[in-house]
Amino acid sequence: MDTTVYQPLDNQGTGAAPAVRARALTKTYGTGEAAVHALESVDVDFEQGHFTAIMGPSGSGKSTLMHLLAGLDSATSGQAFIGGTEVTRLSDNDLTRLRRDRVGFVFQSFNLLPMFSAAQNITLPVELAGNKVDDAWFDTLVQTLGLGARLSHRPSELSGGQQQRVAIARALIAKPEVVFADEPTGNLDSRSGAEVLSFLRRSVRELGRTIIMVTHDPAAAAYADRVVLIADGAIAGDILDPTPESVLAGLDALRTIDDVAAVGS
Amino acid sequence: MVRLTLAQMRRSIGRLTAAGIAIVLGTAFVTATLLVGNIISTTTTDSIAAQFARSDLVVSADESFTVDDVEAARSVPGVDAADATSLSSFELSAGSRRTYQIVVPTPTDDRFQPQEVVAGAMPADSGEIALPEALAERFDVTPGDTVRLARFVWEPGPAGQEDALAEWTDVTEDLTLVGTLRDPFGAYAKMGGAAVVSASDLQAWAEQSDPESPGPTYGAIMVAVDTSAGLEQTRAELEAALPGAQALTADEYAVQQAASLTGDEDVFTKVILGFAGIALLVAALVIANTFQVLVAQRTRMLALLRCVGANRAQLARSVLFEATVLGVLSSIGGIVLGAGLTQIALVVLGGMDLGIPLPSTVQITAGIVLVPLLVGTAVTVLASLAPARAATRVAPLAALRPGDAPTLSSGAGRVRLVLASLLVVSGALLLTGGIVLGGNGNAEVGILVGVLGGALSFVGVLLGAIFWLPKVVSLVGRLVAGSGSTARLATANTLRNPRRTAATSTALLIGVTLVAMMSTGAASARTSLDSELDDRYPVDVSVTTDQYDEYGNGVSDEIPAAMLAGMRSAAGVRDVTELTATRTTVPATDGDYEVLVRGVDPQSATGLVRSPDLLAGLDDGTVVIPRTESEWLGIADGDTLTIDGPTGSVERTVSVTDMPGQAFIVSTSTMAELDDAAVVTRVWLGLEDVTDAASIVPGLQDTLSESTVPVEVVGAAVERAMFQQVVDTVLAVIVGLLGVAVVIALIGVANTLSLSVIERRRESATLRAIGLSRGQLRSMLAIEGMLIAGVGALLGVALGLLYGWAGSATALSAMGDVSLAVPWRDIAIVLVVALVAGLLASIVPGRAAARTSPVAALAVD
Repeated sequence: MDTTVYQPLDNQGTGAAPAVRARALTKTYGTGEAAVHALESVDVDFEQGHFTAIMGPSGSGKSTLMHLLAGLDSATSGQAFIGGTEVTRLSDNDLTRLRRDRVGFVFQSFNLLPMFSAAQNITLPVELAGNKVDDAWFDTLVQTLGLGARLSHRPSELSGGQQQRVAIARALIAKPEVVFADEPTGNLDSRSGAEVLSFLRRSVRELGRTIIMVTHDPAAAAYADRVVLIADGAIAGDILDPTPESVLAGLDALRTIDDVAAVGS
Repeated sequence: MVRLTLAQMRRSIGRLTAAGIAIVLGTAFVTATLLVGNIISTTTTDSIAAQFARSDLVVSADESFTVDDVEAARSVPGVDAADATSLSSFELSAGSRRTYQIVVPTPTDDRFQPQEVVAGAMPADSGEIALPEALAERFDVTPGDTVRLARFVWEPGPAGQEDALAEWTDVTEDLTLVGTLRDPFGAYAKMGGAAVVSASDLQAWAEQSDPESPGPTYGAIMVAVDTSAGLEQTRAELEAALPGAQALTADEYAVQQAASLTGDEDVFTKVILGFAGIALLVAALVIANTFQVLVAQRTRMLALLRCVGANRAQLARSVLFEATVLGVLSSIGGIVLGAGLTQIALVVLGGMDLGIPLPSTVQITAGIVLVPLLVGTAVTVLASLAPARAATRVAPLAALRPGDAPTLSSGAGRVRLVLASLLVVSGALLLTGGIVLGGNGNAEVGILVGVLGGALSFVGVLLGAIFWLPKVVSLVGRLVAGSGSTARLATANTLRNPRRTAATSTALLIGVTLVAMMSTGAASARTSLDSELDDRYPVDVSVTTDQYDEYGNGVSDEIPAAMLAGMRSAAGVRDVTELTATRTTVPATDGDYEVLVRGVDPQSATGLVRSPDLLAGLDDGTVVIPRTESEWLGIADGDTLTIDGPTGSVERTVSVTDMPGQAFIVSTSTMAELDDAAVVTRVWLGLEDVTDAASIVPGLQDTLSESTVPVEVVGAAVERAMFQQVVDTVLAVIVGLLGVAVVIALIGVANTLSLSVIERRRESATLRAIGLSRGQLRSMLAIEGMLIAGVGALLGVALGLLYGWAGSATALSAMGDVSLAVPWRDIAIVLVVALVAGLLASIVPGRAAARTSPVAALAVD
């Protein structure tokens, strides 16, 4: 096993220095009577070197939270930080540079460029930034993700799972501080999904990366080190070292609250 | 289904508008052409009708009328007045200025007079003349001054030899100017107005011109009808009195005459319509492209419709209906635009006083509306046939698949490849055949074969574009891709849909090829004809007092020394050589023959002429004789010829060359022996730069016209300048007309880019999410646009050069050696325009793309 890049982190397992933070983060769509609070004053920390899942039912605000943390969308109020940088105050150009150098993305529908080979897709972010590809790092990623035999293939010649693995390599190539994954298994069958999730976990454990994943699938969330539950635009729970059962139990608890709330209203 | 189609159209309004503009421009072109064609034929008819002024009837027949016929018409009951129509042409002069002018008689009745008197009166008596105002100004004459009219008279020989020695003699008449005229209805506008003399003079001159003939004849008789007599009755009586004749109203007659006269204008309209056809063809490509993408984008929608029960025919009909609506609306827009532009042109031209009365408003007829409407709609519907077929192929299952971006389209079929190759090969063979035929002197057949070959091979090239054009794009792209990842992205993008890239580039290729072909052809023609003109007009400018005397008449004036000095010091003149002249006799096969001999300094003359070999053999012991004259006189190269001059006789060796003209040329010392009093009657001028003739020669003419001796300034330089001007004007007009096709094609480029941006929304967002800046995204599209446009233009230029050269080689080889020229300046302009347009075309789509939020990349459809 290749451990050259692995950097043991401080306070491993006990609460590392936060890679991503949200403070009173709020997103409101519309105004006045029609206002919808997608996210209401959320405070949350995501530790470095950890694989965290954000979970919640549809419309709970989990995707909105991720968009705001990654600087893809602007917050109505509050702050989001990546490392020491306040994302919510950056200009479009600074955001572009942030995404280029410090953030990686994995999408539900892979979003590989159809006209480029797997290898070209992986190295694209580095090239867009005008930097040189770190060949050792590229080899490590390819090996870890098991893409060695597929590098010259076009996306249309790859299976869904393979495409998503290429996407993960693309997200990691610039050694970002954090990788955001949005429902990365949403378009995959369960076997490929499990494979992709193990790779994400390996990236964290063996390559020392930080990953924040949005999902609505308890089984997927169970691969993470920690699950942040979200409901109605607010943090509703936090599960460390989750199992599918504990995540389901957490979700059930949410549903019960919802039901109680529904009965009460 | 109709409601659904309209709803879909509303959703795609932006794209449809962009495609519609292509059709709008095409139909506007057709409309404007038809309107202008109508205006031309109306003005022609009007000006013919104007010649008959206010006559009630015009009598005409297959055969001409005699003076007696006119008298017969006058005696028909109900006829108030009758005059023959008469147009003659004479040389008029005043001082050193002369011109050929149409001359008409003063009518017996004012109703037959289309012109108005500005000052003075109409000529009533013999020896009087009235001139158009503009001509009087040019001649610098006012009523009371003298104008000279020259005419030829058939003079019989002395008694006993009437026929044998009869000849044409020049007779001049000194006429008194009695009035100046205006032509308010443009009756003679196309002939530069008409001078008027008394009817008796004109008839007398006509009779003298050929005493043998029974008298002058006329094409038509104008008739004014007595108000008390009925028009119809008089008409019948006239036709009865003049058997075989037809009496029509002036308007009816003008329409009949115009129909036979407007052949040229019809050809003009047809040629312009050809250009409109090219514009429409390009528009069709743009439309086909747009619909292809619309169908691709609506794949899921179409599949959904199939799922809920729509059948294939309904989907196809929906697309075709959409095309029809677009075609009709765009065509109407085009008709309005075309009519509007023509109207604006009429207003502008009307204010410029061209001398031809133009209608003040365009005349919209049913044909002018229907033809562009039908053509525009038909082109749109035809262009959408293939996309409509694609719509029927959408499987209902497509609705259930996740919304992927439209897949990369497959290549084209093998049939197409074979057909395209066959067309290109056979076309190229025909082109070569045309060049060979042209080289063998069969230029006309060669041109026909060449045009056929050119058309076939071009269709082949266009059909095959799908196979080779994307490869060229990729090659050029690879060259620019070195400049960074943005360029590499752009190149990869142009290649992901080869069919669309090919179609877009092809649309531009058509226009650019034709523009490049025209300018190459023009450049080659200019170069080739320059060398041809060197031989035909060896002297740049010739100033002479004896232009007409070379044919054997009169005495020539000496060119004064002051004038010679003026020529030597004139701007742009490199060299001046004086030629003296005298009349001599030489022995020919059938007796002595009188010829004009010119004396010139051999060294000076050889240095001045453009083709020095014409005078290479000239020295003190030789005489240079033009080839035509030597054949006529039976003298051969190398013969010894005895020339008898006024003061001496010489024997000289003959040197026959292709020197134009009739005069023999000898050295100055030989001339001194022939005629020691010979004077300078001609001066040859060499210009520093022959292309400057257009500015130098008029200056020279102005200077020389002020002198006391009338001189004429002629020469290749003027011809050349005129020729160049004609070629340049024709080229500018053709390029302007083809420009419409290029503009439409560029709209196509913008359209294709916009569609790509819409299609690649998620991809653009992904790129933004992984670190592509807005600027990079915009420059990616800019490079894409410039690649598509640039490659189309580059290939168009290359093809245009080939076709232009082939055409020049075929058409011009009959005139001599063809030099193939490359119009570098025009090519550079075309390429720059294409690149800038590609850049501009990317601006709007680029903005739309840059606005895409990276969040869109996360969205699941």
